[in-house]
Amino acid sequence: MARFFVVFLVLLAALFAVELTPWAQAYFVVPWTNALAAISTSIVTLFDPNVVASGKVIRSVSNGFAVSIEAGCNGVEATLVLCAAILAFPAPWRHKFAGLAIGVVAVQLLNIVRVISLFYIGQWDFAVFEWAHQYVWQALIMLDVLIVWLIWVRRVPAADDAPPPALAAG
Amino acid sequence: MTSPVFRFVVLVLAWLPLAFAVWYVLAPVILFPAELIVRGFADVALRGLVDTIDSHGAVLSFVTSLRPGEARSAGIVTVDVNVLLYAFGLPLFVALVLAAREKPLWRPLLVGYAVMMPFIAWGVLADFLKNVAITAPPLVASQAGFGPRARDMIAFAYQLGSLILPAVVPAVVWVLTHRAFLTRMRATGAAAATRGQH
Repeated sequence: MARFFVVFLVLLAALFAVELTPWAQAYFVVPWTNALAAISTSIVTLFDPNVVASGKVIRSVSNGFAVSIEAGCNGVEATLVLCAAILAFPAPWRHKFAGLAIGVVAVQLLNIVRVISLFYIGQWDFAVFEWAHQYVWQALIMLDVLIVWLIWVRRVPAADDAPPPALAAG
Repeated sequence: MTSPVFRFVVLVLAWLPLAFAVWYVLAPVILFPAELIVRGFADVALRGLVDTIDSHGAVLSFVTSLRPGEARSAGIVTVDVNVLLYAFGLPLFVALVLAAREKPLWRPLLVGYAVMMPFIAWGVLADFLKNVAITAPPLVASQAGFGPRARDMIAFAYQLGSLILPAVVPAVVWVLTHRAFLTRMRATGAAAATRGQH
């Protein structure tokens, strides 16, 4: 348990520190966030053609309401937490790679739901938008990360992996 | 048969609205320990910068000794920080504990509550410092007296305290306080995987 948490915290701190560098912001975070806005907009336009994306901003042409996807809402930090948790857990590398690939997609899918839902909640009621944005969705995304990790941990074959000291100790 | 993970998720989602409601209504009471930590830190480490801290519900108003303009009589700078922004992990943690149903319930609830308070205080203090040292107008920020290195540290503390800690700490504490639950869940997962192979 102790080893898992130490490795997890070290990895998370390292990934987060790298994320904050100008290089990572320019070549990873900004393109990621813009892609998230573009993907969310392309989904929205399936049923609402009056929506456009410009960089990280999603805007309604009909009423002018817009949301800007900022740090904390682009799913990058949630993804880093999941990556650190999967990489830190004792498991065969092929399981880690599979967990990372599927897990990142799962977290980002829910994040797209978050972005789209907030875009429409904000047009409906700004007070509800603030609540959903600042508290509820933050908790739900972390819950998503935890659940994805739990599902992945359950699928790590016990025979292949050294007995997870963390869990065995419980 | 329903997956234990699915049942667990359903229970968490069922508890979450109630946990959020209680958290929001009782926030000034529930978050009082974090407020005490903030006040204690300000008394010790920010003396001269923070004159008083007023609380209005879940909002802490830092009354500073900084002046908004060059004129000495032009008033003072106050910074409001919403403590709830750094405490949304509490209802998540409570929902996770209640959904896991590991007896006795009070133990992880108490441990989680105690562990989360300093991290909530961290977020609040870093938010305040970011406001006076980084995002304030240059005339105000220069009075705060933080050098470039200190401003970098404040920026990092703020990013960590707002983007990572509020969400990660409850999850980490929950995992640490539910090792037996996770072991059982993992064992059922391994058993299901073995059945699937045969």
